[in-house]
Amino acid sequence: MAITRRTAVQGLGIGALLPLAPRLALGQPAGILTRPIPASGELLPVIGLGTWITFNVGDDPVLMDECAAVIAAFFDGGGRMIDSSPMYSSSQPTIGYGLRKLGHPKRLFSAEKVWISHPEQGGAQIEASRGYWGVDKFDLVQVHNLVSWEKHLPALIEMKAAGRLRYVGITTSEGRRHREIESIMASQPIDFVQLTYNILDREPEQRILPLAREKGIAVIVNRPFRQGDLVRQFEDGPLPDWRAETGARNWAQFLLKFIISHPAVTCAIPATTRVDHVRENLEAASGTLPDEKMRRRMIDYVEAL
Amino acid sequence: MSEWGTYTLSDLVMFSPRVYFRLVERYNQQFWPLQLVWIAGAILILAPAATGVPRARVAAFPLLAAAWLFCAWQFFWERYTAIHWGMSYAAGAFLLQAGLLALSPAPARQTDGPASRLRHRGGICLMLFGLLAYPCLAWPAGRSLASAEIFAMMPDPTATTTLGTVLAVAASGKRGWVLLPIPLLWCAFSGLTLLALEDPGAWASLAVIVATFVLLLADRR
Repeated sequence: MAITRRTAVQGLGIGALLPLAPRLALGQPAGILTRPIPASGELLPVIGLGTWITFNVGDDPVLMDECAAVIAAFFDGGGRMIDSSPMYSSSQPTIGYGLRKLGHPKRLFSAEKVWISHPEQGGAQIEASRGYWGVDKFDLVQVHNLVSWEKHLPALIEMKAAGRLRYVGITTSEGRRHREIESIMASQPIDFVQLTYNILDREPEQRILPLAREKGIAVIVNRPFRQGDLVRQFEDGPLPDWRAETGARNWAQFLLKFIISHPAVTCAIPATTRVDHVRENLEAASGTLPDEKMRRRMIDYVEAL
Repeated sequence: MSEWGTYTLSDLVMFSPRVYFRLVERYNQQFWPLQLVWIAGAILILAPAATGVPRARVAAFPLLAAAWLFCAWQFFWERYTAIHWGMSYAAGAFLLQAGLLALSPAPARQTDGPASRLRHRGGICLMLFGLLAYPCLAWPAGRSLASAEIFAMMPDPTATTTLGTVLAVAASGKRGWVLLPIPLLWCAFSGLTLLALEDPGAWASLAVIVATFVLLLADRR
């Protein structure tokens, strides 16, 4: 697939770019690049917020406040999508706590999952999750790791038709069950697919990402840093001299820019416990994005490290 | 099977070390100084039990049962399940072990033959390791002593002390075998979890497993 700077910029919400430069100078990004959800045209910022591990803090008030501060910084920086799952233990109540502190921002795009092997209990699980978040309904509910997807997916599609959620999706991670993911993408009316994709895990470029474009399915990218391992792996090495051409100030932004510059990617969802990191992540969703030639250069550089 | 093969140890841990050890610190703070009562009570009962004092022998397993019950209720059910949904199953296993200990009291006198000297002494060492050394492991692990793991409060020293006591008190008969699997399985789970969290305390749990098997095998010779 040919990706040029022009095509990389196409599909992004360019209007958000216009007020960006002066606000960036103050370190407070007001604008953020967006991509449309193919099913509706609704614009989503290309950086979201994951919650695996980072928001699982139990009832520790200090850590809950830290997470609430991350959520506040996320919305302040223009973010919308927060993604979680019943599998993440206390992450859901932590999100609910943060949202309550902020008065439930209207900007929120709530992405949840159903994760239970007994399909008849899926509805109750989604309802429990909704209670933790404190939202009227979820924007997106995904079948987590394809658990009992044959039963959950029709139920979610029915809920969507009844107006009880807005979008339906499926998820996987770390390259698992991609053949099955492809099959579902080709045969089922899903709006979103979530998977792992980063500068070293590029297998989705072969089939899944092109299929997502062909079928009009939005793509959420999880584990953009391989749970922080990529940043730790590269941070001792120098960023390339030409990093300014990628628009990245640091390794995290370098890695995120690579992901969100793929035209099939709708949103990447890095997770963090730190306000400075969430700001850095959102900053990656501004300015220019690498074109195909630059993406190849980025790959060659990190693979040589 | 092929999909499970793609998971690594770290994929199965859903919280950060900071969250886990802060949970332990807050738990310790909430119950302080109960920790001292548990350690003192255990030394007063388990040490004489291991040296053959009849009344202490009778009281040893009920004391251990109380410790497993407390750990199941206060640590697993009330706290650990908040950050790991799977710990509700661990709470069940700890309750089961409490039941097994309550239903398998050590006889006032040795009835099933003497333990080998090695097993007896090794059991006492394990027991003392669980009671006295485990709380100190926080220090070499680079953690605050507020996160010290203490018998009856936390599962690892409880399992270690139980293994040591069973080895020292239940002697060479088959009576003690039923009391060993759950503590051993817990030590294995805990060791792997702590390894994934990159906490040096992992090696203590794994060493306890090795020591237990060495003492059991030595006794069979």
